Amino acid sequence: MSDLLAARAQMGTSLAFHIIFASLGVGLPLLLCIAEGLALRRKDATWMTLTRRWTKAFALLFAIGAVSGTILSFEIGLLWPTFTKFSGSIIGLPFALEGFAFFIEAIFLGLYLYGWERLSPRAHWLCSFPLWISGAASAWFIVSANSWMNTPVGFQITHGQVTGINPLQAILNPSTPYETTHMLLAAYVATGFGVAAVYAIQILRGKREPYYRKGLMLAMALGAIAIPFQIFDGDLSARSLADLQPAKLAAMEGVFHTANGVPIKVGGIVDDKTGQVLFAIEIPDLLSILARGDPHATIIGLDKFAPQDRPDPFFVHPSFDGMVGSGFFALLIGGLFWLLYFRRKRVVPENRLLLWGIVLAGPLSFVAIELGWIVTELGRQPWVIYNFLRTQDAVTTAPGLNISFAIFSGIYVVLAITLIVLLLRLARSPLPKQEWPVLVSSSSEEKADTK
Amino acid sequence: MTLTYTILIILWLSLIVYAVLGGADFGGGIWDFFAFGPQAERQRRLIGQALGPVWEANHVWLIFLIVGLFTAFPLAFSVLSIALFVPFSLAVIGIVMRGAAFMFRGQADDATTSRRIWGRVFSTASTITPFFFGTAAAAVASGEVHVQGGRVQTDLLAGWTTPFALIIGALALSLCAVLAAVNLIVEAQNSNEPELVEAFRRRAMIAGAITLALDVVAFILSPFQAPLLLNGALDHALPLIIATALIGVGAAISLLLRRYRLARFLSFTATAFIFASWGLSQFPYLVPVSVTISNAASPPATQLALLIGTIIGMAFLLPSLWLLFHVFKGKHPELNVQGKAEETKESAPTQH
Repeated sequence: MSDLLAARAQMGTSLAFHIIFASLGVGLPLLLCIAEGLALRRKDATWMTLTRRWTKAFALLFAIGAVSGTILSFEIGLLWPTFTKFSGSIIGLPFALEGFAFFIEAIFLGLYLYGWERLSPRAHWLCSFPLWISGAASAWFIVSANSWMNTPVGFQITHGQVTGINPLQAILNPSTPYETTHMLLAAYVATGFGVAAVYAIQILRGKREPYYRKGLMLAMALGAIAIPFQIFDGDLSARSLADLQPAKLAAMEGVFHTANGVPIKVGGIVDDKTGQVLFAIEIPDLLSILARGDPHATIIGLDKFAPQDRPDPFFVHPSFDGMVGSGFFALLIGGLFWLLYFRRKRVVPENRLLLWGIVLAGPLSFVAIELGWIVTELGRQPWVIYNFLRTQDAVTTAPGLNISFAIFSGIYVVLAITLIVLLLRLARSPLPKQEWPVLVSSSSEEKADTK
Repeated sequence: MTLTYTILIILWLSLIVYAVLGGADFGGGIWDFFAFGPQAERQRRLIGQALGPVWEANHVWLIFLIVGLFTAFPLAFSVLSIALFVPFSLAVIGIVMRGAAFMFRGQADDATTSRRIWGRVFSTASTITPFFFGTAAAAVASGEVHVQGGRVQTDLLAGWTTPFALIIGALALSLCAVLAAVNLIVEAQNSNEPELVEAFRRRAMIAGAITLALDVVAFILSPFQAPLLLNGALDHALPLIIATALIGVGAAISLLLRRYRLARFLSFTATAFIFASWGLSQFPYLVPVSVTISNAASPPATQLALLIGTIIGMAFLLPSLWLLFHVFKGKHPELNVQGKAEETKESAPTQH
């Protein structure tokens, strides 16, 4: 493997790994906050049991998120030192601010995890607020930095030197509003459907206790509220690309030739040589309508860009379609669930097909995050900072990148396997006695077990 | 330049806080490694208790340092990342495995194989990070990071594998062990475990003696291997170095007199002074002798924004940190765990 490819592979693997835990780090605290709030308000032991269980899982997931995030903060420098030299003074600020947000999250996580006996129930619940607020803030700051890589502003280049730096303008670059909301909503969608999938499996296995139904309902509420906003926001986001990053849009939709009245091509295999998307379903004029609101509008194709400046649509196009497809599937499942719930006079639906749909929507929502991230990253290539710095010029000159990639990949595999084993064990461990006085007074779930 | 120095001092302070608090956490892993005999399980539990609520927060000082360096001194960050690719990668592996193994061990049942394995990973990984950060620091301080014609010289083993650097790596390890031991003494006192107090007092003294010996070796090596650092130290950091030595002696004496809280305070202060002396010794270089503070500094607009961001961030951070340490590390004699459980059981609302 060439050094450039090894570096890209290592960075890509690290991000693909981290983004799952980062998303859960944004979404789970919100679920914890709501569940614990409901528990305290209604003195409801079931909600409290759910809170305690989720806390245990969250502790593991957050730790993995924290350490994998540390890998990334080093890797930005270790793999892309030219990028850091170029961009540090422009876009370092949101990284530093993210540092603070992450700090707050880590502190309140410590209080939340270990504070069950040391804090009053109310104080303990209050600790979940800084947790989800700083989680969302972290995501916002980091994604604003990624937005800047797509639409870099807030500086000029004079005689090869970066001048006239305005860090605030860099943070608030044109892509920031679209990308940050899209990522935040994605985290809520994926957490909601992901958690719901766990309980859907249990109900499919015949578990009928309120514990499972409540877990399913809260998670489905989060997912189903977030998904319509996400699809609406995704549409805005894609439309913004027509002006901000036409090359990316062209790669996403497999548009090789600039034309008027361009169709949407759903699915298919992109053939770079002939400039066609084979086996795709075409919907005439739809791309022009979606992007410009006019069936005859011009859409810029890849042919407007010099060959060395084009992203390769081979992965970008199917990734984009996969993401959109997952999103609409989640919308369908979320809508059906609540429709049945209200039509059946507020009883959690137990239709097996629907439950299987939830089981599928959970992982698919995480797949959608990965695919969306692939779209934005591969769609920006060959640039790391769009139109300013090429990825190939940013890579480090240090030797041994192949070995480094192999070692880090091995670490991720070990961490992932161990984590899955532990989470499965946690899900299978028997429920404690769900009685309010036992739950709020005993120092741990285990103690309640033995009573 | 005032702005640049202000930022630099803030970053150096976060380096110090990371070295002290993060160092004590890594040291906990080192003592986990050396826990044996009938007390072993109790020692491990105490270490786990001490780390549990705070290690993630303590770790973020490093993140802040990295992103701060990236923002305020991008050139230095870039040069260090290229030249010290190997020790940094290894230190990061240590960080990942330490954190993950600590959590995995915590979730495993007592006396199972998986608990034993993850315990081993936790303690081994805890030794990796301080050692390689130590060697990297030595490479920087002794001027072994070379830049020629704008190109950073890269050689897998360059700079950080000299005898001096290896000694500094070992020194970083033993220093972490001291910090952890004096901290664990206080933790053991708080949870009424007099036998563990004695055990960690012995360990603190042993680690202290090793630290002193390594200091002497490093000093003997320095004229040959790190003349730059030695000259800088003698030239403009001598008072600080003398102060460091005196505080270190004070820490040893208070340990002998069983004044444990004082011993912890003095050990932490001595560590802070070591890092301050290092910083002052290599002034005005960030990476001697290729990168100075002024030529690495990002433009004033960036640094001002970072300073304002830092002030706002600290306004949230410091009270939160106070709360964390107040709840878990403050003196709460009424809060020894069993007692509290009994107490709340009576006052808890009953409802069916």
